[in-house]
Amino acid sequence: MSLLSSAEAAVRRSLKLGADESEAYARKTRTVEVVLERAEIQSERVKIQQGVGIRLIKDKKLGFAFASDLSVKSVQATCENALNLAKSSVANPDWVALPKAARLPKLPQGLFDPKVAALSGSEVLGLALRAYNAVKDCDKRAVIDDGKFSAMTSDVAVSNSQGVEAAEKYTLLYGFVVCVAKAHGQTSSMAFEYDVTRNIKFSPEKIGRSAAEKAVASLKPSKGESFVGKVILDSDPASEILFSPVISSVNADNVQRRRSLWMDKIGQLVAVPQLNLTDDGLLPKGVGSSSFDAEGVPRQRTPLITKGKLKAFLHNSFTANKEKRKSTGNAERESYNALPTVLISNLIVEPGKKKLDDVISEVDKGIIVRRFSGNVRPDSGEFSGIAKQASYIEKGEITHALRETMISGNAYTALKSIVIIGSEIRPTFDRVYTPPILIDNVNVVSK
Amino acid sequence: MLDLMLNAVAKSTADHVEIRHHKRETFTISVKDGKVDALNNGTVEGVCVRALVKGSWGFSSTTSLLEKDLVKSLRDATSLAKTSKKQKKRVVKLADVKPASDKYVTPMKQDPQKADREELIGLVLDTDKIVRGFSKAIASDSVALTVVDDDLSFVGSEGARITQRLVRCFGSVWAVARQKGNVVSTYESIGAQSGLEVLKATPLDTCGKKAAERANALVSAPMAPGGVFPVVLENRIVGLLAHEAVGHCAEADLVHGGSFLANKIGRKVASPLVTLVDNGRFAGGFGTMKYDDEGVPTERTVLIDKGVVKGFMHSRETAHDFEVKPTGNARAWNFEFDPIIRMRNTYIEAGDYSVEELAESIKDGYFLKGGLSGQADFTGEFMFGTQEAVHIKNGELQESLRGVTISGNAFEVLKQVDALGKDFVMRTGMCGKEQVNYAGIGGPSLRTKVLMGGIAK
Repeated sequence: MSLLSSAEAAVRRSLKLGADESEAYARKTRTVEVVLERAEIQSERVKIQQGVGIRLIKDKKLGFAFASDLSVKSVQATCENALNLAKSSVANPDWVALPKAARLPKLPQGLFDPKVAALSGSEVLGLALRAYNAVKDCDKRAVIDDGKFSAMTSDVAVSNSQGVEAAEKYTLLYGFVVCVAKAHGQTSSMAFEYDVTRNIKFSPEKIGRSAAEKAVASLKPSKGESFVGKVILDSDPASEILFSPVISSVNADNVQRRRSLWMDKIGQLVAVPQLNLTDDGLLPKGVGSSSFDAEGVPRQRTPLITKGKLKAFLHNSFTANKEKRKSTGNAERESYNALPTVLISNLIVEPGKKKLDDVISEVDKGIIVRRFSGNVRPDSGEFSGIAKQASYIEKGEITHALRETMISGNAYTALKSIVIIGSEIRPTFDRVYTPPILIDNVNVVSK
Repeated sequence: MLDLMLNAVAKSTADHVEIRHHKRETFTISVKDGKVDALNNGTVEGVCVRALVKGSWGFSSTTSLLEKDLVKSLRDATSLAKTSKKQKKRVVKLADVKPASDKYVTPMKQDPQKADREELIGLVLDTDKIVRGFSKAIASDSVALTVVDDDLSFVGSEGARITQRLVRCFGSVWAVARQKGNVVSTYESIGAQSGLEVLKATPLDTCGKKAAERANALVSAPMAPGGVFPVVLENRIVGLLAHEAVGHCAEADLVHGGSFLANKIGRKVASPLVTLVDNGRFAGGFGTMKYDDEGVPTERTVLIDKGVVKGFMHSRETAHDFEVKPTGNARAWNFEFDPIIRMRNTYIEAGDYSVEELAESIKDGYFLKGGLSGQADFTGEFMFGTQEAVHIKNGELQESLRGVTISGNAFEVLKQVDALGKDFVMRTGMCGKEQVNYAGIGGPSLRTKVLMGGIAK
């Protein structure tokens, strides 16, 4: 039976059992992955994860049951479980209804690559070996500490009692390596490099080379000084430090629950005027793209920040119903065994014109951070952590690697202290497409 | 299921094979701002095979419980082991273990299988009321209670057949305070490997009160300063130091890769006050199991004894390489993963100071409370977040500031430990080394020096 027919059968069964409304979300993912450890291949896995999650409503009481077994018998038992859970729950006065069926946009281009879907264990191993060799070829001092290469094929189906029936499939290929460099009895800090794509256009050599270069560049670190000033965040730390608070604050659930600092800021300046930010669920080849979200609602393009001004919040059907508006198609589930939440699809930062080298050349005194190992508090925007693979910049040039250097500040203030938005945009694992960004007024603390 | 697994093992052509069956049932109650989210319950079940052929591992898993699929997984794992052999340098050999035939169940007074769900919902709703009613500043909260019931079976070609039922009950509270344009969020958690009696020993509402109290106190507070300071680390966060900063460096796979502790057995790396242990059998510990996922009995493994490196955590493979006994540290998150070396319950043993006595000698420093997430390089450079920094001036606790991430080299920090509290506590943690897993983290409050990533002076 197809995933969609399993989901439809679950909805029919729930209604027959007496549910007011029902929704089934089924997913099947085939993953071929290779794990590198201790500078060599540690394990290969082929795994199939599959299951169905059933959300069932009875008298405004909600039950959610899931199972990894998709047999007819198991799906029926899961419907009964969901109904019993709903019956023993307490009514949620905010519940309105499951989303209605709507015309779906065309599936964005480039989300499924049959070549990725056909990758075998030994072919993924081949990708990992290419990265491994690239590290060795790049610099003898560099070694891989750990890494992972993974090819995933996902089938998703959603059906509900309001007529939603949707199914599609995607591929995703990702890989990362963590490298250290060893020289003169010293070990560098761990350098991280990755790539993530929907298709086979994937360069393990680039990952390996770049990780090795970063590790070697962080050898022979010296002590820095403490100051308040300019910091260049590479794409990955920019995503974590600046945009994880943004993702939290534009989430309508957080807005409605008074957790968002931006709850009353629509139309106001929340960042520098250079910043334009869009949630784009329909981005061709986008790592977070699809034609429908985790509730079967059409994906769309939602401008969030235009010229520094806050334009909109992101909704799933629950938060949208509370405000009698339309969902923005941002329902998200970690897997079939999780309830829908609200999340970005692809968060796109409009790139500026300057390449990273030009951004560096404009910094009189500051640091560049290539990895951030710390904590970011999305609600308050506070961040604090270690600047990894960080280098000191003086008069427009990188002078030396830094050790034991921490950075801290507030993301919401930092968005208003952006000096330059770089031009080289890349996606992160968190589905944020951002270039490197130079911000000012950051606390740099050295031992 | 055990019979199917035994039949499959009998058909194996590999040099060594392990089959694991895992059924995980989860039940979650979640209340957000007084409203009950969907009651959540379900089961994920599957089986996996790990086969060793001429020193090369192959692994395959499936959610199907049919005999034909299990046999296919066995074939896949065996063929993967064979085909990848030529691309691997390492030849895996396993330390000997006496194959066990045993059954284990988490000791419980109140089995959650028999719980009254409505009563549990009431408990979560009561905690939510206490949190939101704490003060006008509390804007929002999320309270959750979860029971995870794991059924594990292990069958090995050497003859082991082990079943374990591990039950974990845990709860968490997020509180958000909002006042005059400031927002702060705080987090507290409880839990253990136990039945529901853990909710009597460490009530969810007490945990909620603590989160609310902290959010209320910090809503208008500034961030703590940056720099190196003498600090008292609260007992509830010392486990993070034991786990993140030290524990990972003592995992034999990382030792092999050249971690800070490589070649340091018998050497002094910490203050003589520090004894650091990873214990697989700590009563109620989140990472407790009688056997690990290679069928090896777990034990109390001393990593640092009075400041001196004593041992590492091993799988059968690394134990063979290091020529020691396996310690029972090979664990897998579920049937989708092969076991890797993981901590179980990692802690620093207690001393005899009270918190007041620990603070007494500090002229200008901080009492750091409430943990957030952490990470470490295998050089020993670690970081973890704290929620609250209470200023200590001339030995007296003063105002509360917002906590910051702290960092340092673990072994420098441990060398500077000059006093340990008597307030030992074991807590729940989640560790994310390649695959997540439950881990117990513990310790007493202690005094040392760390780098605080706060406001630059």
